[in-house]
Amino acid sequence: MISFAPGNLRVPKWTRPVYMVAAGTTDFRKRYPDRKLEELCMMAFRMLLEENGLRRDPLDVKGLINFCAYGEFADHFQDQLLCEAKVHDYLGLDLLPNVGIKTGGATGGSAMLVGATTVASGMSDCTLVLGWERMDEVKTWTGNYYIATAACKDFETRLARNYASYYAPMARRFQEMYNVDERVRAAIAVKNRGYACHSPFAQQPGRHTIDEVLNGEIVSDPLRFLECCAMSVGSSAALLCSEEVAWQLSDRPVRLYICGGSHTLRTGDRRPMRIPLLPHETEEGYRELYAEMERQDGRWPGFESFGATRFAAYMAYRMAGIQVPVEDLDLVETHDAFTISDLQTYGDVGLTLYGREQDYVTSGDCYHTNPHTGRPGKCPSNLSGGLLGTMHAVGATGIFQCGEVFWQLQERYDQMHGDPKMWARFGKTKPADWTSLQVPAPRRGLAISHAGVGSHVTCAILEKAW
Amino acid sequence: MDHVKLVGKPSVVQDAGDVWIVQLPRFGPEGIHFHTYGQLTPYFKGLGEGKLLGTRCANSRCPVARGNGELWLPPRADCPDCHQPMQWAEAPQEGYIFAYTFVERGGSGLEIECPYYQIDVKIEGVCTILKSYLLDRRPIRIGDRVRARFRTGAEATHTCLDLCWELEEN
Repeated sequence: MISFAPGNLRVPKWTRPVYMVAAGTTDFRKRYPDRKLEELCMMAFRMLLEENGLRRDPLDVKGLINFCAYGEFADHFQDQLLCEAKVHDYLGLDLLPNVGIKTGGATGGSAMLVGATTVASGMSDCTLVLGWERMDEVKTWTGNYYIATAACKDFETRLARNYASYYAPMARRFQEMYNVDERVRAAIAVKNRGYACHSPFAQQPGRHTIDEVLNGEIVSDPLRFLECCAMSVGSSAALLCSEEVAWQLSDRPVRLYICGGSHTLRTGDRRPMRIPLLPHETEEGYRELYAEMERQDGRWPGFESFGATRFAAYMAYRMAGIQVPVEDLDLVETHDAFTISDLQTYGDVGLTLYGREQDYVTSGDCYHTNPHTGRPGKCPSNLSGGLLGTMHAVGATGIFQCGEVFWQLQERYDQMHGDPKMWARFGKTKPADWTSLQVPAPRRGLAISHAGVGSHVTCAILEKAW
Repeated sequence: MDHVKLVGKPSVVQDAGDVWIVQLPRFGPEGIHFHTYGQLTPYFKGLGEGKLLGTRCANSRCPVARGNGELWLPPRADCPDCHQPMQWAEAPQEGYIFAYTFVERGGSGLEIECPYYQIDVKIEGVCTILKSYLLDRRPIRIGDRVRARFRTGAEATHTCLDLCWELEEN
């Protein structure tokens, strides 16, 4: 739709509140031959049950589960239909009900959304959300073709068979419309891959420089190799509960709000529309942008922005009572599959105005420690290392992001990332220069889960409930 | 002139009355997907005849088109705004580059010889922006004018690759 009727804009109202009490994850690797897929899922499930300080024994917690929502991106990769049944049985959860969720790159977020609604509706008091992806059965360029089947098979897939080539035109257009310095995109890759150096779960941590990113091999102009995430293997999990069960299990439960949006599979089919305004925005605030668009034959969301992300944030902010995102949020996880998608998202979620995304990054507000002031950044992004640095085992991604925000809110970043035993578990040694990326006393965080060129997006708000 | 070429074999199509069914090979003769172009068949047939066909909504009660809708490219048989059948009409065979990328390497099975420009073309009177590819390899900019070229007759692949573009100032 290019305009909404009032009924379309109803803000979701759940019957009862939803809480998150535990998270679990594997580490992530490009290839993971020593574990079968269901064995990886068991690793994430065990961490969820055993390492979140829950007040009940792991098997007693398991005894509370009523429903499971599973995220898997592509049957192509697993080469196994109904993988959900294999995982569910392997985790010892038969005969409980489960559903498989599939919304491309947003699969993990959508699994969180579906899991949340089972609790919100009263269908379940305790729901397991678990996702996975195994992308190492095929060579990278066949994997790229599989992913590109998420472009339109009639009109687009044959035009690249490589997903970076569907993001690159957005990067090019964004760069020219908003006069973006390539070094800003490169700085995002440097930041997120750098944060991944502090995570025992990270697949491709690295201390890179902006010049190194820009001098690197080009995948699809203007995107360089280090600006793109990699094929990934692993699993992540979250446990969602009713209020009563949450307080039975945890003294530090986190409240969850989550909403979704969607938009056409083909970027060019996004017809121009007015920007749906977030609570802190005004029409007047975008007068200049609309005028500029007219001059440059631009449009919203065009190739520069994601309507689905804006719609999901529009709903989630109203549901969670977020008024001014940059003030009300203490950290965010964006879906940085490519540097450009990270940059685009800052406008969509209203951390800055559309058209000023570049300034937001250079301001240093999105860093753990603002490089200009040496003080904490206002709203750090992707402290987990993001998709660029840590993981994009697609079906797990949105769940992993919520898990990282959850641990931050519980002020358990150090426990989950800084324990030498956690590094040893994955065959790694904790780096001598490891530093804590814990945000000081955070209250609220956000996680964006994102598919295709913006076809499906969820916006989760997690809020400290104690 | 250094022009981008195709490297794959043309796709086989089956003419089933009004519709084309394109064969997408997967694993041997028994493993072919028979994919119908359905009501969009005129678009693909049109490319082989050098025509660029879009669809438009002419329903006077459509809340967006109001009886005089812009063209859709890619076309669609039904209007998403009022759900009534759309009408076929020829689109202008020229436009300008709205966005682009230079594809250095594509995924397995790519039928276009790398490197090449993948371009998004803005066409007057069309409400969408059409993704395609450019025959020229020389440096381009957003705003450069392009005109449509078609693979027709024996050259036709019976896919979206039958439409490509070249820079107008050639």
